[in-house]
Amino acid sequence: MSWLRIRELVRKEFIQLFRDKKNRPLLVIAPFVQLLVFGYVLSTDVRDVKVGVVDQSRTRESRMLMDALNANRIFRITYYANHPEELEEVLLKRKVDLALKIGPDFSELIRSGDSAPVQVLADGSMSNMASLRIAYTSLVLDRFNQSMITELYKRRLDYGKIDTRIRTWYNPNLDSRNFFVPGIVAVLIMILSLLLTSMAIIREKEAGTIEQLIVTPLRPIELILGKTIPYIIITQTLMIIVITFAIFWFSIPLKGNFFLLVAAACIFLLSTLGIGLFISTISATQQQAMMTVIFFILPFFMFSGFVFPIASMPTAIQWIAYLNPLRYFLVIIRGVFLKGVGMAVLWPQFLALMVLGLIVFTSAVKRFRKRLD
Amino acid sequence: MNPVNIKAIARKEFYHLMRDFRSMYLAFAIPLLLILMFGYALSLDVDSVRAVVVDHDKTELSRDFIRKLNASSYFEIIHHLNDSLSAVRYLDRGFTTMAIVIPPGWTKDLKADRKASLQVLLDGSDPNYAGISRGYITAFVESYNRDRLLSFLNRKGMEQIQAPVDGRIRVWFNEDLDSQNFIVPGIIAIIIMMVGALLTSLVIAREYENGTMETIRSLPVSGGEFLLGKAIPYFLITLTDVLVAVFMGQVLFGVMMKSSFWLMVLASTIYISVTLNLGLLISIATKSQLVANQMAILITFLPSFLLSNFVFPVGNMPKIFQILTYIIPATYFIDILNGIYLRGLGLAHLWPSYLVLVGMLIAMSNIGFALLKKEGM
Repeated sequence: MSWLRIRELVRKEFIQLFRDKKNRPLLVIAPFVQLLVFGYVLSTDVRDVKVGVVDQSRTRESRMLMDALNANRIFRITYYANHPEELEEVLLKRKVDLALKIGPDFSELIRSGDSAPVQVLADGSMSNMASLRIAYTSLVLDRFNQSMITELYKRRLDYGKIDTRIRTWYNPNLDSRNFFVPGIVAVLIMILSLLLTSMAIIREKEAGTIEQLIVTPLRPIELILGKTIPYIIITQTLMIIVITFAIFWFSIPLKGNFFLLVAAACIFLLSTLGIGLFISTISATQQQAMMTVIFFILPFFMFSGFVFPIASMPTAIQWIAYLNPLRYFLVIIRGVFLKGVGMAVLWPQFLALMVLGLIVFTSAVKRFRKRLD
Repeated sequence: MNPVNIKAIARKEFYHLMRDFRSMYLAFAIPLLLILMFGYALSLDVDSVRAVVVDHDKTELSRDFIRKLNASSYFEIIHHLNDSLSAVRYLDRGFTTMAIVIPPGWTKDLKADRKASLQVLLDGSDPNYAGISRGYITAFVESYNRDRLLSFLNRKGMEQIQAPVDGRIRVWFNEDLDSQNFIVPGIIAIIIMMVGALLTSLVIAREYENGTMETIRSLPVSGGEFLLGKAIPYFLITLTDVLVAVFMGQVLFGVMMKSSFWLMVLASTIYISVTLNLGLLISIATKSQLVANQMAILITFLPSFLLSNFVFPVGNMPKIFQILTYIIPATYFIDILNGIYLRGLGLAHLWPSYLVLVGMLIAMSNIGFALLKKEGM
């Protein structure tokens, strides 16, 4: 193996990459646009729940209930309907997420010591958001009940009750951004490294220059190294820039060790570069390669736990997801960012990435060499 | 417009497709495969929280509490640990997302009618998951407390105190709160957008690259006939995809339509036409298959995934992105599908979204004609 030949190939690759103006947006603008869009748009936070109310009682008690709802910062009463049908119509049209019906005898029932029914209709179409809204609604109602009881019976009911103290770790405010932005770093690295490596060799194939490369004294392993090293350098640089951006622009706390991320990215690249090489052996044109890359990226993206939790998937898919390198990288990157854990905790993920990466990369290299010979 | 010309162009395009069997196969099978795979696998529901418990109290009551927790369908106790430290280790490693710690003296507090604190440690990294888990544990403890209140009142021989407000929460449109009911239609919209634009993004660029555009230009075919003829074969493929996906969605996942099937077909027809038109536009504008391909993916997949109210609610976005969602066709299609699948709405409610899609279709076709005219057709 001659480092000189590898170095020259790397140099050629860099020149070629940056000379082509079409590549500049892909390399420079796309990652930032994606980071910004993802960072701002990906959010499943439950806040600003729009509530519609029909208050047929119009008494002090009914107003207290509405105030209790409004006082909770996630609810906002945006629609006051005059009759129940109007309210249902508003819910149907998606103008409100939650509809509250207070009956005409609300206040009398409470005053007489009975239970006054309040009908709450929740729009369940986005079920994950709906179950949170429902949980918050029952919380508001429970608190309201407590204060009503104290007011009505002028006493506190001191019975032995459980007082739940929930402490949320790692992301105390349940901020979606803290969850998604570190993940974006991983997804970006995957997309870029897959696209770039598969294209790097196909380009030579399409231009017919691969024959020229083969007749040079360059050995297959040198060709592979020369073709992958530039993309390792590029993706690592990008990762560092993107992480810096995530920390300073989106103020995502980085609790763990930055260099652990760099190490993890290097191991992760083994898999993606391997897959990129593999794709370049099975495709004849850049276009075929593009399509194949897309159909690798989509399942990797969807079955990684980036948006959809793996634990909620069917068991068969959960087993398949063990083969997805992105999932391990995501655990590492989120662990380092949010939990601040180190090697002691993350070694299984590192190991899995390493094993997957070595298998994918060596088999891709083997196949690639056979093609060259 | 001459139907004979359109038919001729469509037949030529169809032969192209048939001859390249791999593309034909991909065009038909890949979208279906993706829709089924994602529809089957993706879910945002939390079935049962896999929790660990640390019972410092170790009494009859605390054990009973844990048993009840495990028996409820919302929790699955995967381990009983001895100390909080190992609970922390479980959380750190991601083996569990919730640790429930019963402190010593818990039973004594409860029996003495004092507040007994229950410590819950929650992994908040995934806010969606953590939020739902938090809702589960709060609701569980709430109902446990209610039982305790009742037995307290009985013990004291007091008159029953009714809860002043009885919240009767009912879920509408998606009664079982099953995320598949909105993910499957959404996935159909996204994949069709991507595949539709991707397929047609190649067809005119291919004519340019092969140099056959000159020949077509010299034919007595107008721009409209040309575009229509090019789109028809792909329209049929994509529409079949949608119909099969919808059918499979009903049979395999039980995702049922509440409103009319034909409304769905109408919406799909318009939406598919929009996606195919978009691809044709890209194809004319770029004149290169590779660039067209990349463009098509870039402007369809992520925007449709992120900015269409699919799983990320538009209301949470900054204003500028909220405005962007209005120009994404998938936003309207997902809105229509939501109405048809979940709300059982008819045209009386859904017409604005239909109208916008038709408007997009007309606008895009006109741009396409104009671009072709500039090319001399």
